[in-house]
Amino acid sequence: MGLNLLFLGVLLLPWASALLVALFPKPLFSISLSAVFSVAALYFCTTAPVDFKIAYPWFNLGGQSLNASFWANASAQLVLGLVALVSFCVQLFSKSYLKDDPSIGRYYLYLHLFVGSMTLLLLTDSILIFYGAWELVGACSYLLISFWHQKSAATKAAKKAFLINRFGDIALLFGLIALGFHFNTWQFSAMHGIAPTLIGIAIIAGGMAKSAQFPLMSWLPDAMEGPTPASALIHAATMVAAGVFVGVRVFDITGPETHLFMGIIGAISFLAGAVFALFQNDIKKTLAYSTISQLGLMWMGMGSDASLFHLLTHGIFKAGLFLAAGAVIHTVHSQSLNDMGGLRKKAPVAALAYLIFGAGLMGLPLTGGFYSKESIAGYLYTSGHVELLIVLALGMVLTSFYISRQFYLIFMGPLKEGSSTKEFALPISILIIASLFIWISVNPLEMHENTLISIYHIPSFWLYITAATWVLGIAGAYVTRNWIPAGNYQFLPRFWPSLFRFIRWKSRSAQVFETQFIDRFVNGIAALQVIIAHLTAWFDKHIVDGILVGGSAGLSAGTGRILSRWQSAKVQSYWAMIIVTFALFLLYALFIK
Amino acid sequence: MTNLPLLSLLIGLPLLGALALGLGQLKEQARSIAIGLSTLQLALLGYIYSAFDNTSGLFQFNETHNWFSISIGSMGQFMSKYTLGVDGLSISLILLTGLITWVALWNSTDIKEKIGGYYALVLLLNASIMGCFLAKDLFLFYVFFEFMLLPMYFLIGIWGGPRRNYASLKFFIYTLVGSLLILIVMLGMGVAYVDPYETALLNGLIRPEQGFNLEALKAVQQLIQSQELATSSLVHSFDMQALADYNNCQITSILHISSGWALAGMSARECGFWLLFIGFAIKLPMVPLHTWLPDAHVEAPTPISVLLAGVLLKIGAYGWLRITIPFFQAEAIEAANILAGLGALSIVYGAYNALAMTDLKKLVAYSSVSHMGFVLIGIAAFTAEGWQGAIFQTISHGVLSALLFLMVGVLYSRTGNREIDSYSGLVTLMPRFTVISGIAIFASLGLPGFSGFIGEFFSLMGAFTSPFVHPGIAVLGALGLLLGAGYLLWTFQKIYLGKHYQKNADWSLPDLTKLELLSLFGLGIISILLGVYPGLLFELSEKFVTGLLK
Repeated sequence: MGLNLLFLGVLLLPWASALLVALFPKPLFSISLSAVFSVAALYFCTTAPVDFKIAYPWFNLGGQSLNASFWANASAQLVLGLVALVSFCVQLFSKSYLKDDPSIGRYYLYLHLFVGSMTLLLLTDSILIFYGAWELVGACSYLLISFWHQKSAATKAAKKAFLINRFGDIALLFGLIALGFHFNTWQFSAMHGIAPTLIGIAIIAGGMAKSAQFPLMSWLPDAMEGPTPASALIHAATMVAAGVFVGVRVFDITGPETHLFMGIIGAISFLAGAVFALFQNDIKKTLAYSTISQLGLMWMGMGSDASLFHLLTHGIFKAGLFLAAGAVIHTVHSQSLNDMGGLRKKAPVAALAYLIFGAGLMGLPLTGGFYSKESIAGYLYTSGHVELLIVLALGMVLTSFYISRQFYLIFMGPLKEGSSTKEFALPISILIIASLFIWISVNPLEMHENTLISIYHIPSFWLYITAATWVLGIAGAYVTRNWIPAGNYQFLPRFWPSLFRFIRWKSRSAQVFETQFIDRFVNGIAALQVIIAHLTAWFDKHIVDGILVGGSAGLSAGTGRILSRWQSAKVQSYWAMIIVTFALFLLYALFIK
Repeated sequence: MTNLPLLSLLIGLPLLGALALGLGQLKEQARSIAIGLSTLQLALLGYIYSAFDNTSGLFQFNETHNWFSISIGSMGQFMSKYTLGVDGLSISLILLTGLITWVALWNSTDIKEKIGGYYALVLLLNASIMGCFLAKDLFLFYVFFEFMLLPMYFLIGIWGGPRRNYASLKFFIYTLVGSLLILIVMLGMGVAYVDPYETALLNGLIRPEQGFNLEALKAVQQLIQSQELATSSLVHSFDMQALADYNNCQITSILHISSGWALAGMSARECGFWLLFIGFAIKLPMVPLHTWLPDAHVEAPTPISVLLAGVLLKIGAYGWLRITIPFFQAEAIEAANILAGLGALSIVYGAYNALAMTDLKKLVAYSSVSHMGFVLIGIAAFTAEGWQGAIFQTISHGVLSALLFLMVGVLYSRTGNREIDSYSGLVTLMPRFTVISGIAIFASLGLPGFSGFIGEFFSLMGAFTSPFVHPGIAVLGALGLLLGAGYLLWTFQKIYLGKHYQKNADWSLPDLTKLELLSLFGLGIISILLGVYPGLLFELSEKFVTGLLK
C-alpha cells in the first residue's frame, strides 16, 4: 500500500509542483520541489519490484472499461531514475544560468510540466496515455524552445520542432492503434506475440521524429535556440530518448524486419550526425549533432537492452556535456567556438566535466559509455549484423575525432577571453559523481551482470578495433589541431588539401543534401502547403462560393425573375426558386406515384 | 420537483423571457432579465443532469401531449404529438446549449443598440435550439429547426458587420434549403410508416392503461406487414421511434425495400438517406456545403459567433445521429466510405483554407469546418469508439470554438481589426490574454489533456478500426492534425510572440477584463476537465451508443 501511494506521489508530484510554481515563481522553491520529486522517484525505483503494475478506473467505452493503467517495468524504472537525476541537476543549474531573466518562474513551470509528462510517458501501460504523454512532451519542448519569445529564430525553431514531431506523431498514432487492434488490448503489458512488420515500422517511424533520426533530424539543431539547461534535459538526455524508449517498449512484440529498419535508420543517423558534428562552429550545435549521432547509435541497438543501456549512460554524459557547455557559454558570453580557447584555467570544473563526459561519449574504459557501446556491439554481433558493426567502428572514429577536437578547441591552446566562474560546480559535480558511481565496476573491461538490464558480450577482437578507433580519432584531432585557422575551423582547408577537399566535398555535399535538399524539401513541403492553402482558399472563394453557390443563386434569382416578373427584390426571388423547386419535386413524386 | 414539466420549462423559460422583452419596453433591465433566465435554465439543467440515470438507454423526463390529428381519407390518419424527452445523446447537448448561451449573454456587453430586441432574440434562439434537442416527434423537431432560422437571421442582419445583409440572407437560404430536404423526407416517411402504438389503440388491439410491450409491438407490426388492417384504420405519426423501426414501413410504400421505385439508379430509401444527410450536412457544415459559415461568422457579432459555432452547428451532428442514421441505418452503412471520405475532405480542406486566411475570425471559422469533419468521420465508422468520439468531439468543439471566438472578440472589441498581420508580440502588453489564448490554441490543435484530443483520437480510431471504412481515409483525416497544428501555431507565433507591433499606434490594448478572464478561463477549465476525465461525457452517451449500434 505504501508503495502504491509512493507511486501516485511520483506520478502527480510534478504536476502539483507546476501548479505551485505558477503561484509562487521562486527558483529555490522550485528546486526544493524538484528535489522532493527526485528523491521520491529514485526511492521508488530502488524499492519497487521489477514488474510493478497498478491501474486506476478511468472510463468505459463501448461496454469495454478503459483503465489508467501503469507498468513500471525495469526499463521504465531505469529511465525514470535518469529523469529524476538529470532534472534535478538542470533545475539547480538553471538558477544561476537564468538568474537575470525576469520570467524564470515561467521557465521553472515548463520544466515541471515536462518532467510530469515524461514520467507519465515512462510509467504508463496504456496506449492512449502513452500517445497523450508523447504529445505532451512535444508541447513542453515547444514551450521551452520558444522560451525567449522575442527572438524570432526561437519561435520559428519551436514551431518547426512541433510540426516535424507532429508528423511523426501521426505515424505513431496509427501504429499504436493498429497495435492495440492487432493484440486486442489497450495495454502494452498484455501484448504477446509478434506484430506485423508494417505496424512495427509505423511505430518506429513515430519515434524517428522525436529522436531526430534521419530524415527528420533538422529540427534538433534549430531547437538549440532554447535555454541551454533545458536543452540538456529535453533535447539531449530525456525527451529525444523517448524515440528509443518506444523502440524498447515494442522490442519484444516486433519482428526482425522492424528491428532491422530501426538499425539502418540508426546507422545512417549515427554517421551523418557525427560528420555534421565535425563541421560546426557553434558549441551547442556540435552537441546537437552529436546527440543525433548518439541517438542513432541507440537505434542501432534496435530497441534491445543494449539500446536502453546506452540511453542511460548517454543521458548522463550528454546532460553533463550540455551543462558544461552552458558554463562555458556563460563564461565567454558566446556560443561560437571562435571565441573560445584555453578555458581550462578559467572554467576548471567545466573542463574536468568535459574531459570525463567526453571520455564517456568516446566510450573509454572506466566510463559507462564503454560498457554500453560494447553492449551494442555485442548485440549486433550476436544477432549477426556484421555490416552494422563496420558502421559502428567507423562512427566511433568520427565520434572520438569530433569530441577530442572540440575539447582541444575550447579548453586547450591560448586563452582568448572569458571571466572565471564557479557558479555551476555543484550540479555538474553531481552528474560527474553519478556517472562514475553508477556504472563503475571492479574490472574496467568487464561489466557486472545486473538484474535490470541484460548485457550482450562480444569476443575480444572487438576490443582491439575499439582501441584503434580511439587512437585514430584522437590522432586525427591532434594532427589537425595546428591547421585550424582561427577564423573558420568549420572546414579545415589547409589540412591535407586533396583528402580534405574530398572530405569537405563529401561532407559538404552531405550537408548540402541535409540543408539544401532535406531541409529544403521539408521547407518546400511547408511552402507547398501554404501554396495549396491559398489555392484552396481561392477555389473556395471563386469556384465553390462564387460559381457554384453564387451561380446557383444567380440562376435561381434569374428563374425567380422570369417566373415572378413583378418582383425585383432579392429575397422574393430566392423564395420563388425554393417554392418552384419544391413544387416541381412534389409534382414529380405525385406523378410517379 | 419531478412533477414539474422540466423539459417544457427549459424551452418555456427563455420563450417567456423573449416575449416579455419583446413586448414590454424593458430596455434597462433586458440584460439582467436575460442573464437571470439563462441562469435559472442552467440551474434546471444542473438538476436534470444530477437526476439523469445514465444506466438506462431510454428517454427520461418524458412529456407527452396530443397535438393534432387529421384524417387523410383512405390512407388513415395523421397525428403529431408534443413529446419531449432526454436521452444519452441529448443530455450533453442541452447542457452545452445552456452553458454557451449563458456565456454568450454575459459577453454581450458590446451590443449597445436595440438592447431589448437583441436579448429577446438570443433567448428565442436558445428556446428553439433546446426544442430541437428535446423533441421526440419529428414534426415538432422540424418546427423548432425551422424556427431557429428567424432569430439567427435577425441577429446577424441587425447587429452584424458591414456585409451583414449578404451574410444573413446567405445563411437563411442555405439553411432553408437544408430544411426543405428534410421536410421532403419527413412527409414521405410519415405516409409510408405506421405508428404501431396508436394504430393498436385505434383498432382496439390494446387498451390505453395496458401499456405497450414488445410482444404487442411485434403483433401489430405483423398485422401491418401482412396488410391485414384496412389502410383507413392506420395511424401515421412523426414519432421518431416509430420512424426508426423499419418494421413499421408499409409494404406498398415506395420506401419499402421491395418497391422498385428508382431515381437515377437510387432506390427511394437511398434518396431519403441522402436528402436527410445533406439537409443536416449544411448545418454541420460539411464541405462543399460550408460557404455560408465563414460569411456568417465574419459578419456576426462575437456572442452570436459563439452561439453559432458553439451550439447551432451541433444540430447537424445531432440530426445525423438522431434521425439520419437510425432511419436509414442500412443505407448509411452502405455509404460509410463516402461519408468518411467527405469527413476527411472537410478536415483537410477546412484546414487548408484556415491556413490561407489573414482574417483571424475567418481562420477560426474554417477551423470549425475542419474540426466538425472529425465528427463525420467518427459517425461513418459505425463503431462504439467512433460514435463516442464523434459525440465527444461535438461537445468539445462547442466549448473550444466558443473559446476561440471569444478570443477573437477580445481583440476585435479593443481595435475593431481582426487582421492577423496587424498584431505581433502581444505577450508584452497582454500577458494574461496570451496565456489563455495559448491554452485555447493548444486545446484546439488536439493536445492531450484537453478535450479536443479525446474527440479527435476516438473519431480517428473508430474510423481506422471500422469494418466499413477504408483505413486510408482515417490516415488522410489525420493529416488535418498536422495542418491544424500548422495554422494554429502560426497564428500564435504571429500574434502573440515576437517583438511587439501593432498596425495602429493609437490602439490601446489593455489586458483582459474580469469578465473576459472568467469566461475564457472557465471554458478552458471545462476543456481540461473533459480531457483528463472523458468519462464525464462517455458515461452519459454510453447507453445511447450501444443501443443504436444494435
